Amino acid sequence: MRQSPRFLDRLRQNASDLENHVVDEFLAGRLDRRGLLREGSRFGLALPLIGGLLGTLDPFGASRALAQTGQKDATIRVASPTPAGAVEPVTVANEGGLVMLMQTGEFLIFDQPDLVLRPMLALSWKANDDGTVWTFTLRPNVKFHNGRVLNADDVVATMDRLANPKNGSNALSAFRGVLSVGGTRKVDDLTVEFHLDAPNGNFPYIVSSDNYNAIILPADYAGDFEKTFIGTGPFKLDKYTAKVGASFVRNPDYWGSKALPARTEFTFFADQQPQILALQGGQVDIILHLVVQGAQGMLNDPDVKIIKTRAATHRQLHMRTDIPKFADKRVRQAIALSLDRPALAAGLFRGLAEPGNDSPFAPVYPSTNKEVPQRKKDITAARALMAAAGVPNGFEATLTTERVQEIPDYAVLVQNACREIGVKLNLKIETDSAYYGKAQPGQSDWLDSEMGITDYGHRGVPNVLLGAPLLSTGAWNAAHFKNPTYDGLVAQYTATTDLGTQRELAGKIQTLLLDETPVIFAYFYDYLMATSPGVSGAVNTAISQVFLANATIT
Amino acid sequence: MTGATTLAVADAGLPSTAAHTDPATEPLAAAPSRIGRLLRSGSFMVGAAIVLFWVFCALFGPFVVPYDPYSDDLLNTLAMPSAAHWFGTDQIGRDILSRVIVGAGPILSVAPLATLLATAAGTTLGLLTGYVGGWLDSLIGRLIEVLLALPLIVVALLVLVALGPSSTTVIGVIGIIFTPLIARTVRSAVLSERSLDYVAAAELRGEGALHIMFVEILPNVLPPILVETTVRLGYAIFTVASLSFLGFGIQPPSADWGLAISENYGLMTGGYWWTVSFAAGATASLVVGVNLVADGIQAALE
Repeated sequence: MRQSPRFLDRLRQNASDLENHVVDEFLAGRLDRRGLLREGSRFGLALPLIGGLLGTLDPFGASRALAQTGQKDATIRVASPTPAGAVEPVTVANEGGLVMLMQTGEFLIFDQPDLVLRPMLALSWKANDDGTVWTFTLRPNVKFHNGRVLNADDVVATMDRLANPKNGSNALSAFRGVLSVGGTRKVDDLTVEFHLDAPNGNFPYIVSSDNYNAIILPADYAGDFEKTFIGTGPFKLDKYTAKVGASFVRNPDYWGSKALPARTEFTFFADQQPQILALQGGQVDIILHLVVQGAQGMLNDPDVKIIKTRAATHRQLHMRTDIPKFADKRVRQAIALSLDRPALAAGLFRGLAEPGNDSPFAPVYPSTNKEVPQRKKDITAARALMAAAGVPNGFEATLTTERVQEIPDYAVLVQNACREIGVKLNLKIETDSAYYGKAQPGQSDWLDSEMGITDYGHRGVPNVLLGAPLLSTGAWNAAHFKNPTYDGLVAQYTATTDLGTQRELAGKIQTLLLDETPVIFAYFYDYLMATSPGVSGAVNTAISQVFLANATIT
Repeated sequence: MTGATTLAVADAGLPSTAAHTDPATEPLAAAPSRIGRLLRSGSFMVGAAIVLFWVFCALFGPFVVPYDPYSDDLLNTLAMPSAAHWFGTDQIGRDILSRVIVGAGPILSVAPLATLLATAAGTTLGLLTGYVGGWLDSLIGRLIEVLLALPLIVVALLVLVALGPSSTTVIGVIGIIFTPLIARTVRSAVLSERSLDYVAAAELRGEGALHIMFVEILPNVLPPILVETTVRLGYAIFTVASLSFLGFGIQPPSADWGLAISENYGLMTGGYWWTVSFAAGATASLVVGVNLVADGIQAALE
């Protein structure tokens, strides 16, 4: 048990019950230093309090300190995926588009690569006791690039725009059931309250950079982002040419420390190979997102710096629970038992991945209950389950998926694994647009296929992954899984604000999903960014965001 | 008429085939001497040896491969060529030598069937337009010109996107897009036959049009059709490989060469040359082999 210094007692008098609970967890030794940062940031724990507990008041200065080794006023050149369609903050849903948003736009909170939240446009945030109302205090004297000062009206308008289904908002995957139009209310010019649809202990993540659409725009935003790239960030738009690239220059009126680079240049690429050649040839300094497939030769190249970020990025192998072939959970369990997960991580990702345990709780999440036994390959048990399910000789099925990164190889490996238990899989591998179709039941191979593999990106908290693909009402429920017990557990988990209780509920959810196995989560893989050796200070997240304000190059 | 044939072939950007062949002066009775010339043709013999090697692989490959070509080994991925794996292993540890051997099967079943389909349809259309002539010739001729004006691979991709990729679809698509090319060659040959006495005699005997086209004229235009078919086969092999490379042809886990190149070409810059080189070399050798055979046949007919 750690001792509570006396001065902390005074600070704790002004803290809420939730904040004091976090402090208690730390003092009791149930939270480590990183856990305190993460949990403290989630509840907007005052920096002096965290600093007092950790003996430091500046846990966030690392990237700028690192960057001081290189030249200021440099031009940083980035190879980036081409934005698919218009760069529009409300609707962007692709890697190339989202990285453009955050070059000039900023979020209320920055979800750092280690999942610790850092104040950005919000200085602090705190919940009421049941997690239904969150109050955010905004940073004063922040100016948009057009000179107007940011205030609570801009935050209210931004959130209402994102929460409105009529806008085709991509942020609804995070906001649905959490925040509705009208839920964001101005208290004063620098204070905003979020009145949630249901209690939510992870709400700060939902309005953080983790929700990449949630850059704060002016209240009078006219829907012309591609022309202005209006925002509050450390860089301003210089030039944007669709399908070609974009350049940005330092914002001299930025509220914080001015950007170290004078200029950043993004060149759009459709494929990875030209990006690798461009980095090797010195035409770019950074490859925003390096995929292991096709880059194996670069991973050990001394002339390239690989920045690895642990992530929850994964593939979901769904089986339709509502059709006879996969209705019996023993069949689904048998297929899950046929996969050699450590070998998949080693073979497909050169070890830059971790085995999954058939639930969205990735090892990277602090709430993941690590006491739940890891599922391992067991062909004998799998065959016994097939026999018990009445299909000792297996059956034939079609595995539908998309031609994206390692997925076709993964599909072949699943096919080979299933062959060992008598299940003959025919592969249908198509373009991602054909696979997703109109993303509506009846019009989408993704949602209609009897068995399919779908790519899922990283999230700072597992809430969205627990909801959309697995809840009875989930919009991405390709397994057609309907389980009231699961739904209830997820509702409890979402409402819980305390990490210990979250872990306890996570354990129940993980156990239930292992038993039901509507979806196989075989691995979670790391996010990789590649830079030339002289680059430092570039900060990336596992959802392809790159923050270059502190970047330098030697 | 010969000029028309030359133009047709030149329009398609292809080597002249029927242009140098005059069935009227080279009746089928000369077949034995042609076979002799064929067997004395070095290019034909080399080409035939290459093609026969791959045909053998296609037919008996599964029985001679050192490893199961579909079996993965995730702890031995991207292994360099060695005594254990002569051609190395791919991204999921499959033996590349075994996959190259077995990979001859898909391409040598799809490409010849597509070529046969195109030959049958093209020959029928060519006989019809060349013999009947008139408005039918003009109508079909214009349609063929429209089809030939469209980029081959784009048409193929559009159809495959609409119908979904499968071996059957690929056969159908390639068969259809090669049909106009063969039809124009056959039409040109038929036009030069149509005015000959044996056709007039058949008409005087009261033979029907179908009889005259398929029994009287067809045997006399077989040599250019044979050459054209062989040339088309080379192109079909290349087209199948291209479609597989683009992801619209034969589907995984097939050992198809085009698919193998598509799956691994990104590794070339990382130094994993063996994942692509052997499949690419196999494709190139088969195309070269078929073209040598075509050259040999053409030379023999001349």
